[in-house]
Amino acid sequence: MVDLIALGVFSLIIIAMAAYGYRISAKTAEDYMLGGRTIGLVVMFFFVLFAISSSWTFYGFPGHLYLHGPGYVFFIWGSVAGFAALYMFLGPRLWALAKINRFLSPVEALAERYESKALRVILAVTMLAFIIPYVGVQPLGVGRGFEALIGTPLWVGATYTAVLLVILVILGGMRIVAWVNIFLGTVYVTALLGSLFWVIAVVFPDGGVVQAAQQVLVSEPAKLSTPGPLGAYSSVLVIGTFVVGLLAFSWPHVVIGAMTARDKTLFKWFPLLIFIFGGLFFYIIPFVWGSIIAPAALPGVTDVAEADRVVQTTIQTFLPRWFGVFVLMGVIAAAVSTAAVQLMTSSIIVARDVIQGVFKPDANDQQITLWARLAVIAIVILSLGVTVVVSLGLGDEAMALYLTDVSVPGFAQWAPALVGGLLWKRGTRQGAVAGTLVGVVWLVLGLLITNEAGARILLLDLHPVILTLPLNAIVYVVVSLLTEKPSEEIEDVFFNEVDDYLRSER
Amino acid sequence: MREMLEHAPGRIYLLVLLLSVILMAVAVFMGVTDAPADGEPILVFGWMTMPLVIGVVFVIVWLIAYLIYFTKHWPYR
Repeated sequence: MVDLIALGVFSLIIIAMAAYGYRISAKTAEDYMLGGRTIGLVVMFFFVLFAISSSWTFYGFPGHLYLHGPGYVFFIWGSVAGFAALYMFLGPRLWALAKINRFLSPVEALAERYESKALRVILAVTMLAFIIPYVGVQPLGVGRGFEALIGTPLWVGATYTAVLLVILVILGGMRIVAWVNIFLGTVYVTALLGSLFWVIAVVFPDGGVVQAAQQVLVSEPAKLSTPGPLGAYSSVLVIGTFVVGLLAFSWPHVVIGAMTARDKTLFKWFPLLIFIFGGLFFYIIPFVWGSIIAPAALPGVTDVAEADRVVQTTIQTFLPRWFGVFVLMGVIAAAVSTAAVQLMTSSIIVARDVIQGVFKPDANDQQITLWARLAVIAIVILSLGVTVVVSLGLGDEAMALYLTDVSVPGFAQWAPALVGGLLWKRGTRQGAVAGTLVGVVWLVLGLLITNEAGARILLLDLHPVILTLPLNAIVYVVVSLLTEKPSEEIEDVFFNEVDDYLRSER
Repeated sequence: MREMLEHAPGRIYLLVLLLSVILMAVAVFMGVTDAPADGEPILVFGWMTMPLVIGVVFVIVWLIAYLIYFTKHWPYR
């Protein structure tokens, strides 16, 4: 009963913030979709950090470290560099471009840059196809938390999260999603760090984390170095994992964050927070959990799904039950903070790029905001399909590799068009369309076609990004160079005016 | 990034970042993150595994380079 009251209060706080956001919003598309472009440094930091720190940081990441040793942490080092790179290299230009031209979505900005409606459709469909299942992983994560702690079926936690998400995103819009991330992020960090300290104090009272590491050193030393106990993380895979992490700059729900910034000074200071708070503090918490504390406290887990739950199981084994409920709130916070931003991003793409961009070019502000809100409901229903698939035993339980093996390669397919569109004047419509199409088609076929042993033959059984992204980039560059360069007007609007704006005092 | 390539500090900054990535890759390929052939995995301060140590050093290098460039030389500051 106390569990339900605590979860009820937690939900009410989120709903109250969403309702407040609805009351103060300007009721324009720009306000709903981009928070009126008024997000400041601190809110932006929580917004982005907890948009990317999903329930994966509680389940998939430590679970994978537990099974395979510390090699997977290179995904984090790559991600930290990738997120910082987005805000250092691309963010200022994207922000200025969108602000000057009133673009509401990054897909819209690229479609205008390349003067291509076809590219708009291709990018919109691609982003939606890879982001919606990832939205679905978040309710699934909460469903697992409920299942482990309260004993309810998977769908209960998933549905609870879905309802919370719909209310938050429909009422609050981007501004409140960003603000709520401060609350959710605080809850999550407190739960993750608090549980880590408490478990260390209870289980390893004589030497803390050193005692735990020494224990693993004696029992399973292979878990403390590469290639890990199963020999998976060769040097090539470690560097490959780092490169996949670097591609974090292309995650659409992170890219869109740059468009919500209040002013350009945000881009000057944002990387500082990413390096210090993200790289040197936050991500080290689940790393210590998965690679040292859990293997020492709860050795012997070999099943992938059990490994995904190993942090929660450790907490439930060694800490009081009430704290388990608090940790579950942290997991819900992590899941909701990520899924809400992904939902916002998806609904903006549906409303602005698909409906207004293709079917109803004359739609007014009110209409596209309505479409965005309706899209939220549709996407949440679709994303619950992930829970249904797993509940019916038709899907894989491992969460870690869904992010790195499917979503990231999918998001990466717009990277050449995105980077080229913002930084390379010679990039052309034909190059962007050809490169993106080649990359996406090969990726999808490569993920679907496997041989009898389960190997992805079209991808040479390598990580999906290794062949598809370079090919995409090469086709983009070659076709761009072979086709007529963009007009002077495009160069003026997308490069010269942006430079002037960023160099001005504004 | 275009603005960085237009002046020497920016080019040096990008070069430092690139070099840090290359050096990290070299360290990984030289087996710094592996356990020594005839011994136990290296644990700095008794608990920090080498993949963690390398990553922390990498982030600190980026942090220092960023602080110098963005506070003193960034054209949009």
